[in-house]
Amino acid sequence: MTPTKERTIAPPVRGGVGTSARRQDSVPKVKGEFAYSSDLWAEGMLWGATVRSPHPRAAIRSLDITDALTVSGVHAVLTHEDVPGRKLFGMEIVDQPVLAWDEIRYEGEPVALVAADHPENARRAADRLRVDYEELPPLVDPERAVEPDAPQLHASGNLIRHARIRCGDPAVTADVVIEGTYETAMQDQAFLGPESGLAVPAEDGGIDLYVATQWLHVDLEQLAASLGLPQDKVRITLAGVGGAFGAREDLSMQIHCCMLALYTGRPVKMMYSREESFFGHVHRHPARMHYEHGATREGELVYVKARIVLDGGAYASSSTAVCANATAFACGPYEVPNVQVDALAVYTNNPPCGAMRGFGAVQACFAYESQMDKLADALGMDPVELRMKNAMSTGSAMPTGQIVEGPAPVAELLRRVKEMSLPPAGHDAPLDLRSLPGGVSNTTHGEGIRRGVGYAIGFKNIAFSEGSDDFATARVRLFAAGGEPQVEVHSAAAEVGQGVGVVQIQVARTELGVERVTLLPADTTVGSAGSSSASRQTWMTGGAVKSACEAVRARLLERAAGELGGSPSDFSMEGGKIVSQTNGIEVSIADLLGRDSIEETREYRHRKTYPMDPETGQGDAHVAFAFAAHRAIVDVDTELGLVRVVELATAQDVGKAINPLSVEGQIEGGSAQGLGLALMEEIQVSNGRIRNPSFTDYLIPTVLDMPPMKIDVLELGDPEAPYGVKGVGEAPTISSTPAVIAALRDATGRALERAPVRPEDVVGLTEREVR
Amino acid sequence: MFPSRFDYSAPDSLDEALATLGQRADETKVLAGGQSLIPLLKLRFAAPATLVDINRIPGLDVLEESNGHLRIGTLARHNQLAADSLVGRRYPTIASAAPQIADPLVRNLGTIGGSLAHGDPAGDWGSVMLALNAEVVVRGPTGERRIPIDDFLVDIFTTSLNEDEIVTEVLVPQPEGSFGGAYLKLERKVGDFATVGVAVHLELDGDTIARAGLGLTAVGSRNIKPTNAENALGGNKCSDELFAEAARLAAEAADPVSDVRGPATYKRAVVEAYVKRGLAEARDQARARAGRT
Repeated sequence: MTPTKERTIAPPVRGGVGTSARRQDSVPKVKGEFAYSSDLWAEGMLWGATVRSPHPRAAIRSLDITDALTVSGVHAVLTHEDVPGRKLFGMEIVDQPVLAWDEIRYEGEPVALVAADHPENARRAADRLRVDYEELPPLVDPERAVEPDAPQLHASGNLIRHARIRCGDPAVTADVVIEGTYETAMQDQAFLGPESGLAVPAEDGGIDLYVATQWLHVDLEQLAASLGLPQDKVRITLAGVGGAFGAREDLSMQIHCCMLALYTGRPVKMMYSREESFFGHVHRHPARMHYEHGATREGELVYVKARIVLDGGAYASSSTAVCANATAFACGPYEVPNVQVDALAVYTNNPPCGAMRGFGAVQACFAYESQMDKLADALGMDPVELRMKNAMSTGSAMPTGQIVEGPAPVAELLRRVKEMSLPPAGHDAPLDLRSLPGGVSNTTHGEGIRRGVGYAIGFKNIAFSEGSDDFATARVRLFAAGGEPQVEVHSAAAEVGQGVGVVQIQVARTELGVERVTLLPADTTVGSAGSSSASRQTWMTGGAVKSACEAVRARLLERAAGELGGSPSDFSMEGGKIVSQTNGIEVSIADLLGRDSIEETREYRHRKTYPMDPETGQGDAHVAFAFAAHRAIVDVDTELGLVRVVELATAQDVGKAINPLSVEGQIEGGSAQGLGLALMEEIQVSNGRIRNPSFTDYLIPTVLDMPPMKIDVLELGDPEAPYGVKGVGEAPTISSTPAVIAALRDATGRALERAPVRPEDVVGLTEREVR
Repeated sequence: MFPSRFDYSAPDSLDEALATLGQRADETKVLAGGQSLIPLLKLRFAAPATLVDINRIPGLDVLEESNGHLRIGTLARHNQLAADSLVGRRYPTIASAAPQIADPLVRNLGTIGGSLAHGDPAGDWGSVMLALNAEVVVRGPTGERRIPIDDFLVDIFTTSLNEDEIVTEVLVPQPEGSFGGAYLKLERKVGDFATVGVAVHLELDGDTIARAGLGLTAVGSRNIKPTNAENALGGNKCSDELFAEAARLAAEAADPVSDVRGPATYKRAVVEAYVKRGLAEARDQARARAGRT
């Protein structure tokens, strides 16, 4: 197959596919005028607050709301008894109480709700709620959780999923064998806009919810069930989203806010504080990964054995899918003939974990790329050469038996990052402290500094896998106003900052040759777009908009044929006009339409996928894969353990850059998030309690931490995808972490088997007991 | 959150401020730059009945050398100290520390007197003043006291300032001979409190250490003056071995705890590395100064 060929339109419309068209939200965001969900306001609205458990594990003996109700300005205090419908929710497994009633399974679990006329009154009432807890010892070690005599946190047991790969000969031996145990910590998505929304009770007994989320329709289904309302009585409109990265896939305040609004008959706003936000959404699964690699003396991989334990925390969230990904991508983008993988996702009393950018592939990549470096070292081989030697390519079989059909430029991406020029060694006088580890804090003027270089490559699936009915819907309307053709695009795709809004506009411009395209607010009056996750929206909703545009175009040409004679195939659209190819007659779209409009709605589906076999992991589980490689250059202060990333270089195949500037932004942002996991981002959990629920103590990279980047974007075109696109957002998050840590190992010679690497790890003063 | 309700007075003389403070000293707080006090009020860790704002009192931002001292008025802002040319020429430890304090917003408003009176062991000025052997001048109903900084700092958030007293000045002895100094600070990111900070001051006579001052930040319940290390340095000739020994003694004097900023053993190691690096930097400065004269 060849890449989808673009239709040419003359003259080409401005701001179409392949241009860095200006985003619909960019100017208001830069000017501080963009309305985020936390800016919502309604006349007469009340403020909601959540009462949360202070204990990671406890039995609730009793709940007394009497005192809380006496606080002035309080309109409602609700508990589990007030949940009108299903008392549990959950995207994949319905296991999480809307409000806890008998058992507390994590610190910060919601127990009750308050609505008051002022946020301070709501907070005061929340303080006055009396809950009698019987504290229980929390189960916090995921390895312990799967032992037979461990306390069972759910009726189904503590094991959420055990995924396996059995491929090739389990008894095969190899010349060179290396082992390693690796850990990745609990990373937070750290979006800047905390969970917030506004619920407005409607006259029909239903509810209108304005909320920052990632997938409107999955929220709607869960809301309707727990509110005991038919789905047509629940309407959701996307409010301004301040980042998501997976953390908005699960419900947070949605049901709570609607319950309070329906109970009081007033609009209710809820907005988490930064601290509450750390308890209010799922995080990246911490992972413990034991690996064994076997290879020939020449460096050909013979086998990989891996055991991966993912801490799912108190509730399942998307643990089953994260576990599947950690399994499917456990060996990396390499050809490995013999593979044994066991990946477990388990319940504990730690904070619940779920979706985050990279989704299971991040954890595995840190382990397998660490192993590849270790193997290269054992073989005395160059680490990039070892990777290229084993690189998968189009036609390779994955350990799951799936044949990689699209472009798989693994060796090419590695070659490209390897060949990029290196930044100059050393530092020019006068020293700019910002360029040194420790920065302007005057920690070094060059003492103890060593430079290191590290490489990594990673990959991940695009769109939903394992047989889910993955589709996106778009409605496109073509009409004329003021003698000019205009287009409205309507979908439920959540713009979470990634740029799916302008992608839809660009697609409509290119397909219909009309520059004036308006994107309607995303809501549930149009069909589902699926989630803004799994790097899927450009492909899926982009595909739906393209398909709806094609249907609109077909109807327009039919109309032209009807009015002007001939058949639709005689006509083409050029620059806002319909032109007959047989006699050259032109008619403007505006004249042809008059006061009519043409509207079409289409669903787009990707090729069917299949579940992985529960015993062997075999199956065509994925539709396509995204690949990215990174090279990291670091300077390390070997006495203090401080690190300056000097440069990140990356090469990535994006299939087709619909909006090149957005692509660059995604690559920079994803790389930054990976750098964060390598060096600083960790929710520190001690005995089930979060020790750093603030941006003072949970560190994310800033402009001072991010180095300059060299970015090489390949557009190889996936034949199955509209315009050949691939998702961009996740791949850079996957390979940047192991690249940075590989560079640290190169500089220090230390093993560094845990991400993030802390200063004390770099100088060999790790204190395990404080964790 | 919002602070609890409080009365507010903004007198334009020190006597008036002391009088207001004297009325209900136990329920009154003095507001200078407000960069520690206002967050405490907003978090409701403090709920004083009255705030006495001393920002309108003239003369409290003096910055000049007289009678063998640098006089730093209590209202001197961190940024004023960072930008001052006299400080830049003659007080390298102060000049090095000032721009490292918190962020530009804090530095524009935060004051040296307020910072010292707050008594935060993670505060930077306490260590700088310990290294420089400064004195804190305070005024109360019975007059003025001069308190050596080592006596002024007592414990976490505790100083020897009485409730009815106000810090008016900090007196830093003028350096003698050829001198050098530095402040080294480890912060997890720009604007953070110190994980560890070390202040160093050296005065050389030839290559002999006439005076050595050290101060340690965030490694104890108050800023620490590692006197054993200072004594080991005093009277000896500069050498890497001597600096390493002093660094070891300073690390011994540190009493850090493990917390979200890192384990205690690591913090102690940072003290040692910093004292070594700081002494070397101060020595190089002093030698350069000697070379110029």
